[in-house]
Amino acid sequence: MDFGSRERNEVEAGYVSRNDTIPRELKEPNPRLWLFIILIGIALYLIVEFPVKPIDGYIDPFYAPTVLVLPLVGLFRITCYAYRKDYHRHIFKHPLECSINNRHDSQKRGYTGETRLFRLENLHRYFLYGSILILPFFYLDIYKALAFNMAITLAAVILAVNTILVTLYLFSCHAFRHLTGGGTDCYSCKFAGRSRRSFFDVQSYLNSHHEQLAWASLLMFIFVDLYLRALSSGLNINFIILHL
Amino acid sequence: MSDLNSVSNRRITISIYRSESRSYVDYTVPLEDGMVVLDAVRYVQEFIDTTLAIRWNCKAARCGSCAAEINNMPKLMCKTRIDTLPDKIRVAPMGAFTNVSDLVTDVSENYMINRQIPEFKPDERAERPWRIAQIDVDRTKEFRKCIECFLCQDVCHVIREHKADYVGPRHVVKVASLDMHPLDTLDRSEFLNREGGLGFCNITKCCQEVCPEGIHITDNAIIQEKERAVDGDYDPLLWISRKIRHNR
Repeated sequence: MDFGSRERNEVEAGYVSRNDTIPRELKEPNPRLWLFIILIGIALYLIVEFPVKPIDGYIDPFYAPTVLVLPLVGLFRITCYAYRKDYHRHIFKHPLECSINNRHDSQKRGYTGETRLFRLENLHRYFLYGSILILPFFYLDIYKALAFNMAITLAAVILAVNTILVTLYLFSCHAFRHLTGGGTDCYSCKFAGRSRRSFFDVQSYLNSHHEQLAWASLLMFIFVDLYLRALSSGLNINFIILHL
Repeated sequence: MSDLNSVSNRRITISIYRSESRSYVDYTVPLEDGMVVLDAVRYVQEFIDTTLAIRWNCKAARCGSCAAEINNMPKLMCKTRIDTLPDKIRVAPMGAFTNVSDLVTDVSENYMINRQIPEFKPDERAERPWRIAQIDVDRTKEFRKCIECFLCQDVCHVIREHKADYVGPRHVVKVASLDMHPLDTLDRSEFLNREGGLGFCNITKCCQEVCPEGIHITDNAIIQEKERAVDGDYDPLLWISRKIRHNR
């Protein structure tokens, strides 16, 4: 394709990397990336090494249904369009911000975008399908928490809020949007087109809050984990709201 | 500033890029309520330095001609009120395009890219005259608001810093408006992905941030086209199902 007068500066290192198997973004000295990897590593080690045993019927969401699903959930989040924006901006600094005066270092570094190895991000929809399969376990855990205590407790409410946030985050996903109607050009030509369009509109509304939901649900996950750890260590921070 | 000759005691200093000296020159202009950057720049051209080159037409954010970088953010000069800016105002031409003179840039590469996008190809069997349901045109109406100011192309780091072979946000919006048309029969996502460099876009949403028409460029056009490209180029199950159907 002819891109007209766009002046190429291939001599400068800023040109896109075409032949690197490992994207230059991963190879360059980037303390932000290293710190991120170290933090993820420490978090994974702590989660696996120090599991939270079910206490009073409450199950930590990191272990629902098993800690073995963490890679799937992690891949879902890492290939999510909302987080992609965040780490391309704040870890790889491509670009750090939209203001054009603070982006000059981006020009001097290699850029791969979502090509080459980063094409794996296109498998996001499969991680979504996998995550949807895990979702019922979260609802099962709410049921278990209620049934075990025969009461609505603060911990059960926190678990329920977490589950609702995860559900909203999952179903506000861009890949799900494509599935629900993003790929449809003619609704009136299809069976139940008007209803499908309405469903797509509702999903689009959710989708417009995808970034907020992504972060809210991630922070809630961490909060629930810390809360249940505190609870299992003997802290008296749970109380009954309503007896069933 | 409805009357350029009106007198005001309040003054502001505006720094404008001059291509001849390749530097910014400060000009002091009278400040009036509701004044926009274009008013100040026009004042400079009319009363201080008539050699200043600017491009503008409607002063109503409809034509997209007065696109520039105001305090390092791509914006329309006619839509940026002075009272929303700090005391220091700096106006530069769009940096992603070749500079012609002062604030005027050559945006013709966009017209060249536009000509390479496969045209609207309607279904020949469709009943004439064409009838299109409202629910089918709603999505593409948003894209037709585009005024082609090319601020999104200017802010895009892929074009600006990396000069990559990526068509740019404006053209993905154009492709999406054609692809999502209910009577169109083509799927341009493969063209966009393979020739248009769609993979270079890392969806950092600066284009969406600067769009003066508020078009959700990334969410409604780029990601939608990326998902269509996944259907065609990356989804293994869809690839297998296409192979099976092809062999039958």
